[in-house]
Amino acid sequence: MSLVMDIWTICAVSAGALFFLAGTVGLLRFPDTLTRLHALTKVDNLGLGLITLGLLPQTSSLLLAVKLVIVWLLVQLSGAVVTQLVAGAIRQHGADG
Amino acid sequence: MSAIETGNKGEARWSEVIGSAAIRATGFFCFWLVLTRGDPGDLGPGLIAAAAATWASLRLFPADQWGFRPIKLAGFVLHFLLQSIVAGADVALRALHPRLPLQPGFVAYQAQLPPGTKRNMFCAIMSLMPGTLPCGTSCDGDLAIHCLDVTQPVVEQLSVEEALCIAALGGANSDV
Repeated sequence: MSLVMDIWTICAVSAGALFFLAGTVGLLRFPDTLTRLHALTKVDNLGLGLITLGLLPQTSSLLLAVKLVIVWLLVQLSGAVVTQLVAGAIRQHGADG
Repeated sequence: MSAIETGNKGEARWSEVIGSAAIRATGFFCFWLVLTRGDPGDLGPGLIAAAAATWASLRLFPADQWGFRPIKLAGFVLHFLLQSIVAGADVALRALHPRLPLQPGFVAYQAQLPPGTKRNMFCAIMSLMPGTLPCGTSCDGDLAIHCLDVTQPVVEQLSVEEALCIAALGGANSDV
């Protein structure tokens, strides 16, 4: 059973790391600030979600597992809110302002 | 547990407000317990924090405004998770694609949800959906949405999402 869980952890965390890599590639390659925001929020959220899911079987207690999920949810929430604020500011004042 | 059918839009009854406050306070306190790992020395501040959070939450989300429907909400959360996987994969593929297939631009979207908390919530959800990023409201009241690919049927997709959101969180005002 623990072997299955370890394999799950390796797969999910690796996939999460790949998404973080893709998000960073997007951050470097995308042409302007707004498109870069897409790369940061969406891809990195998925990456963090996969890493969280991958680490869940490795936690020693339920409390720790719930804490991990809460960290993920808080990052999602702050990402969803802050991205809009940054995007709104760029739309109004331009990317250099 | 009990999905209260608030058919009449009137003032929320006190029992409802107190029930809602109790559920929220319990939730916040559990949240605190998780964060502090149930350390007994932190229980006192936790009670104060939970009370303050409940007060703020009742101010920001009055109990009568939210007709949560638990089953539809669960379905919506599942749909949202699937959509964020699609969103992440979509942007990741575009980022790694050798020719960088992007058609970025703005799309105006007329939201059905009235300006306020519910619309803000929809915007937050939208910003994690594939290809769309809300950038505030334009002067004529439409939402300005930045899209990675304006050739996609963005407006149609958004109205489907908004309908799902309304079904899960309660109507634009009191319908359905």
